[in-house]
Amino acid sequence: MEASGADRVLDRWRTFADAVALSLGLNLWVQLVLLPGLVAGALGAGPGQLAAVLPLLVLGAGVWQRSELILLLAYPGILLVPVGLAPEMANVHVYGPVRFAIVAVALVGYLFGASLFTSFREPPPPRSQRPLASASRPVPPRWRRRFRLYAALTALSIVFPLVLLYTINFDGEVRELLAVQYPGRVAGLTTVMNLGAVAFWVLLYAWFFLGVLRPHRTGDRDLVGDLDRLRREARRGRPRLQFYLGVAVALALMIALLLMRH
Amino acid sequence: MRRYFFEFLTVLLMGGSIVFFVECIRYLSQREYVAAIILMFIGLAVISVGREMARLALVQKE
Repeated sequence: MEASGADRVLDRWRTFADAVALSLGLNLWVQLVLLPGLVAGALGAGPGQLAAVLPLLVLGAGVWQRSELILLLAYPGILLVPVGLAPEMANVHVYGPVRFAIVAVALVGYLFGASLFTSFREPPPPRSQRPLASASRPVPPRWRRRFRLYAALTALSIVFPLVLLYTINFDGEVRELLAVQYPGRVAGLTTVMNLGAVAFWVLLYAWFFLGVLRPHRTGDRDLVGDLDRLRREARRGRPRLQFYLGVAVALALMIALLLMRH
Repeated sequence: MRRYFFEFLTVLLMGGSIVFFVECIRYLSQREYVAAIILMFIGLAVISVGREMARLALVQKE
């Protein structure tokens, strides 16, 4: 009886998660496809309408199948098809800074919601739990320090892409310079710069943000060997060669830039 | 005290490096490709120093 009760609770949570993923996905479709399509007048023709409806079918299939591959990869990817067919939908004039922020929040919200939804596929929690003795002790200062740094890195990892994309798309000086220096190619160049900024940010995140946290990742048996090596490396209390190299390169290049400019 | 110093430097350097990347975009929009590349590498150097500070802040004993 207890097991069936737990199953019912789990089913209710799964249904709730399905509804959340579906709502967030629909919201993203409205923000990214429907409204820009109507504003830009790109949904009048047959192929445009077909491409606009296609993401809804994929979203429905993802929710029906409860597939993280469809929900987290195929659906966000297929949302770009109507934008690819009618690039004016992604025009800067369609996306002001406020609207751009709203769409960004909708995208991140959908990805978080869909990720949460996929976690409900994990097995139900055990029937009884016994807290560890260390759980009753206060959090040691070392871990509080780590949490502070984790929070700072999380905040920075949000700020970085926002600032880069804002500078490319909405900074008045950059927009004016692009219009003067690249007449007739501003839209194409903006798209290339946006893609470059996103790719650059992904590399930065992998190298510099995850790089710091990698020694603290636990729970993955495949990583045990790497963790041992990294733990040994992390125990060194002195800066590595990269530190001195970074300082030297930064100073040398700054001096070179100053000499070039003056 | 030292650990707070490392934490402060981490945020300052990693956050400050974005200024160089923003300037890199500005120089790109002016067709100053060499300066833009130099600025990008300055940013990478600064953020790598920030990462090293974060590592040191994390391994501090107390």
